[in-house]
Amino acid sequence: MSQWVVASVALLAGLLPCAVVCLRGDACSRLVGLEMAGTVDTLVLVLLAEVYQRAIYFDLAVALALLSFAGGMVFARFLERFL
Amino acid sequence: MTPRGVAVAILLAVGVGVELFCCVGVLVMRDLYDKLHYTAPATTIGSLAIAAAVVVQESFSQAGIKAILVFLILLVTNPVLSHATARAARVRELGHWEPRPRRRRPRRDRGQEGVP
Repeated sequence: MSQWVVASVALLAGLLPCAVVCLRGDACSRLVGLEMAGTVDTLVLVLLAEVYQRAIYFDLAVALALLSFAGGMVFARFLERFL
Repeated sequence: MTPRGVAVAILLAVGVGVELFCCVGVLVMRDLYDKLHYTAPATTIGSLAIAAAVVVQESFSQAGIKAILVFLILLVTNPVLSHATARAARVRELGHWEPRPRRRRPRRDRGQEGVP
């Protein structure tokens, strides 16, 4: 079971480069960092659900995958049209 | 270590490695359009490997099916999202996202080459 813990902690370290991307550059580059962070977060939730052995926790990953897509689309549309 | 444990470890290593590589790639690349390329392997190879690890561990139980569902959602939604992001960047850059007008080549006059 410990390999799942190791994998989820290692994957959490991938959020640091995404945070750096979100903090510099122009607005659209920051949006790319946000999308990447959403993907990594979804997979971290999958791994943590496997760590805790609860099948219901996988629903969190499904919800985050759908909502990060919706959020990214809203950001892209606003950057394109209104900002 | 059982064969199942070895398979899970290999799949997790591949998935986490691809994800970390893509995060570093997004950080290192200079341009927005170069950065966008690195979101593709994170949602195809990386999430496929992690979902496969969950399926190998749990077989096709509730957890395995939901992991496959997460993989399918990421696989379908990421191209749409990267297209929308690239289009937004191009609209902010040019004001529209149609291709640039093609420069017309000077046409050779057909009448000189002999009319059939």
